[in-house]
Amino acid sequence: MWSRLTYTLRETGASLRRNVTLTVAAILTSAVSLFLVGGTFLVQRGFDNLLSKWAGGVQMIVYVNPEATPDQITAIQQALSANPTVIDVAQLKYFDKTQSLAEAKRLFAADPGAYALLNPSNIPTEFKVVPKAGKLDLLVQLAESFRTQIPKVQRVVLARDQVEQIAKLRDFVQTVTVGLSILLLIGALILIWTTIRTAMFARRREIEVMKLVGATNWFIRIPFMLEGLIQGLVGGLLSCGFLLFFNRLWTNGVVKLKGDNGFIALVVSDSFLNSVMLGVVVFGMVAGAIASGVAASRFLDV
Amino acid sequence: MIRLENVTKIYNSEVTALRDATFEVAKGEFVFLVGPSGSGKSTLLRMMNRQERPEKGAVWVAGRNINEMPDSKVPHLRRNIGNIFQDYKLLLNKTVHENVAFALEVIGRPKHVIRQQVPAVMDLVGLAGKQDRFPHQLSGGEQQRVSIARAFVNRPLILLADEPTGNLDPGTGEGIMRLLDRINKTGTTVVMATHDQRIVNMMRKRVIQMDRGIIVRDQARGVYE
Repeated sequence: MWSRLTYTLRETGASLRRNVTLTVAAILTSAVSLFLVGGTFLVQRGFDNLLSKWAGGVQMIVYVNPEATPDQITAIQQALSANPTVIDVAQLKYFDKTQSLAEAKRLFAADPGAYALLNPSNIPTEFKVVPKAGKLDLLVQLAESFRTQIPKVQRVVLARDQVEQIAKLRDFVQTVTVGLSILLLIGALILIWTTIRTAMFARRREIEVMKLVGATNWFIRIPFMLEGLIQGLVGGLLSCGFLLFFNRLWTNGVVKLKGDNGFIALVVSDSFLNSVMLGVVVFGMVAGAIASGVAASRFLDV
Repeated sequence: MIRLENVTKIYNSEVTALRDATFEVAKGEFVFLVGPSGSGKSTLLRMMNRQERPEKGAVWVAGRNINEMPDSKVPHLRRNIGNIFQDYKLLLNKTVHENVAFALEVIGRPKHVIRQQVPAVMDLVGLAGKQDRFPHQLSGGEQQRVSIARAFVNRPLILLADEPTGNLDPGTGEGIMRLLDRINKTGTTVVMATHDQRIVNMMRKRVIQMDRGIIVRDQARGVYE
């Protein structure tokens, strides 16, 4: 067992050294492609975060002044429920101060300073309004009347003003990043494959001898699979570096977009970033090992 | 030990390398396969360790039909069969000792077994004291001895030799033949393909003569003709 382990490590190390150029190319390509894969997840998550307050078909949010009394809040709810032809009353939701604070914490993840300024005495509560199918135009008219005629309504925001453009942008960005990362992943796998084929060609005499003296195919294959796994691992770790760097750059940039445009929510939490990084490293290792194993098998003619 | 039954091998569905070959080699026997180039000698040898599979017929080695053996069992079959070649097939970046140890290492033999068996087989082939040389520092005859040491270090039941004296001068070739004879006397079955007339006539062993894929003569204590 011990001699097998030392054999495997020695052969893997020798092969990586012998083949530096191709190995570096394979590592860099896998790093860039894994970075794009991870980036796709981050961008997606950022948009989801940004759009999360509109989740579930919400088309209108009525913000209620923080100092409104329970009676006044009930009055607003009744005013909304009085339009059952336009509003889907069953889906009407009220976010009290605790829920609104929790939502703000998620949206302001990039700017803890801004979140710290919020407290139960100054945060507006919210009614989330889902319209009935085909009644969006009537909802827009209703929004206008709420803005002006109902007491203690701080403001009324329509999804149509914010969400649709963002959703289109998200779909566009998603198509581009997914497409690019698939292309680059294919490139990385082809390079790892080529590295292994080259490594095996350089050692074809040894492999021939190994097969003739009765080495099993797994014994021959495993050093090559380990080589692919290491390439994937190093590529994955590099991509984590890229992801950390660009996520920080992005978050810092987003914080500077002050104002009421909601873009402050276009960020991800650290825990999500960590799981994406773990994911790309594991994926890189597994994909590298499998690509090498398949390449080795093809060359072994088994 | 080895039995071929009506073995036919066709390459690329047109070139017939072997036609209806049937013979048996007993345990401990020494057999020459003779005949001109392209007569099917190497193909026959390659059938015996399943580097090739016949289109028709059966190949039995040590009581098993090796053509029906699953791929996963082939490595274990080959651990019982040593191979030597005209071009030695040594690994040029490894020393003599490493070349021989490699054969044990890659089948997972423990270090202490390797330390014990490699010097023993080096003594047997007459290369004691040269284990730290590289192949290019050795003569052709010495390189062939290394390849014999590598083939024999695991004490196989069968030794397959494909023109082992083909690249050597007559005197050196005789030395190699004496070594193969000694190995044969330990009970190892030896099958050797050659077209070296002098050696076949000198050894007076069983001779199987091939011509265009057909066995034309099978003679005990034969000569080349």
